[in-house]
Amino acid sequence: MTFAERMLRIDRRIIFLVIGLCTLVPLLFPVGLPIKISSEVRGVYDYIEGLPEGSVFLLSLDFDPASKPELYPQAIAILRHAFKKNLRVVAMTLWVSGTGLADQILTQTAKEAGKENGKDYVFLGWSPGGSAVILNMGQDLYNAFPADYGGKATKGLPVLAGVQNLRDVTYAVSLGAGNPGVEAWYVFGKDKYKFELGDGCTGVIAPGLYPLLRSGQINGLIGGLRGAAEYETLIGQKGKAVAGMDAQSATHLAIIVLVAICNIFYFSLRRQQRRQDGMGS
Amino acid sequence: MELSFGVILGAWIATGLTLFILSFLYEDNPLFKLAEHLYVGVSLGYTIVKTYDTVIMTLIVRPILEKGEWSLLIPVGIGMLMLTRYVPKAAWLSRYAFAFIVGVGAGLAIPRTISSFILKQIEDTVRPLLGIAPGGGVTFDYSLLNPASHLNGIIILIGVVSVLFYFFFSVEHSGPGKAVARAGILFLMISFGAAFGYTVMARMSLLIGRLTDLIEFSDASYGRPTLWLVLLTVATLIVLSRRASTHPPNQ
Repeated sequence: MTFAERMLRIDRRIIFLVIGLCTLVPLLFPVGLPIKISSEVRGVYDYIEGLPEGSVFLLSLDFDPASKPELYPQAIAILRHAFKKNLRVVAMTLWVSGTGLADQILTQTAKEAGKENGKDYVFLGWSPGGSAVILNMGQDLYNAFPADYGGKATKGLPVLAGVQNLRDVTYAVSLGAGNPGVEAWYVFGKDKYKFELGDGCTGVIAPGLYPLLRSGQINGLIGGLRGAAEYETLIGQKGKAVAGMDAQSATHLAIIVLVAICNIFYFSLRRQQRRQDGMGS
Repeated sequence: MELSFGVILGAWIATGLTLFILSFLYEDNPLFKLAEHLYVGVSLGYTIVKTYDTVIMTLIVRPILEKGEWSLLIPVGIGMLMLTRYVPKAAWLSRYAFAFIVGVGAGLAIPRTISSFILKQIEDTVRPLLGIAPGGGVTFDYSLLNPASHLNGIIILIGVVSVLFYFFFSVEHSGPGKAVARAGILFLMISFGAAFGYTVMARMSLLIGRLTDLIEFSDASYGRPTLWLVLLTVATLIVLSRRASTHPPNQ
């Protein structure tokens, strides 16, 4: 067996080990590679930065713990920014399995910023219906969410003063890991009730959302852990996403090298076989 | 800072389950199966409890009993028709509930989806390929970095037309048509490559997330669960591997 054949039949566990080490080593010994801010992430940041104090900011945390590594840092960074700008934060989720995590994220960031539940922010929790919840909120928010996550009646909460439906929302951001997520918020929310919409999402669904960004259907896109790292850099509070960027770069480099090496071995093996076939005939 | 017992216990459980799941990368084993079954069971149980509390109690029982909103019994009745599927003689009643859901769902989704994803996207694709200068001349923006440039407009036009042609099977792809279809394949490959690149990034992010937690939980304040549980997992894998080699499974 030639070297190329042995390499192409290498135990896949060795590849797992290489990828694991490429991830672990930069996490233990970070280098601090520079992070360039993309225009799509800046779109969300600039819009929030330009909002006047007391504007109603709706954050829909449409993900569950399976997408935590990518969307948790995004949620933390956006909430820190919104609380710093003294916006009225209205948070909710369209994913029933994400309610506990969403509540934890909001409570943690609000506590950090010294914000008061009911006055500065509210967590509406989850309501059944998926996309239909958005339509329901567009007609009457209090009908869709008669009580907040803690069971307190939403009508009369200071944070919702002057808010009757989605038309009273100044800016909405959906942090989505699938359906229902940003597409539902655009189709049933922004397009019908005319509020500005931004998006944060997992890396897997980001390419599918670029057409919405280019056409102006969403005004910004935070894609995956990379997007979260850019947002953390913009607000000047580096967290888990920035810490993971060195590891991300190292694993990408390792994968590129592995793809290149595999191709070299594959083509050298093919050439060798053609030569042997030529000699045989 | 002193950590509560709940936080420490949570760290041990999270670390153990992460390592048990990652042990599958070595080979399938009972630890992985334990973690997998726990994941399915816990997430399903959580969903059932949250749904029961939010839907049955908060949105149905309380408004009826506390506010006398008896009109809620109409959607409850339609919903209950779904359950007639389990009674063969009355199963036909469930069709009314399904008809209601399909009708309302289609009525809500079709016009909005056409407006948002077809009309808006066509509007964005059909853009002027040249600009008009204030003085009356013609301008052309060559910037590849600007998504709205004229050059990118032409690239998008070529991409859309060639990909649509590739999926047009009524005409044989030969001669000039072959070149257009090939261009379509090229655009599709670039699109698949970009999607795959993002998918790799997402999967690596998940690994980074778990390793970040494992590093955090290796701290003495948590009782070093990462260290102890790595040893336990490795030892279990060794024992299982030896047992498999001395007692091979019956063929």
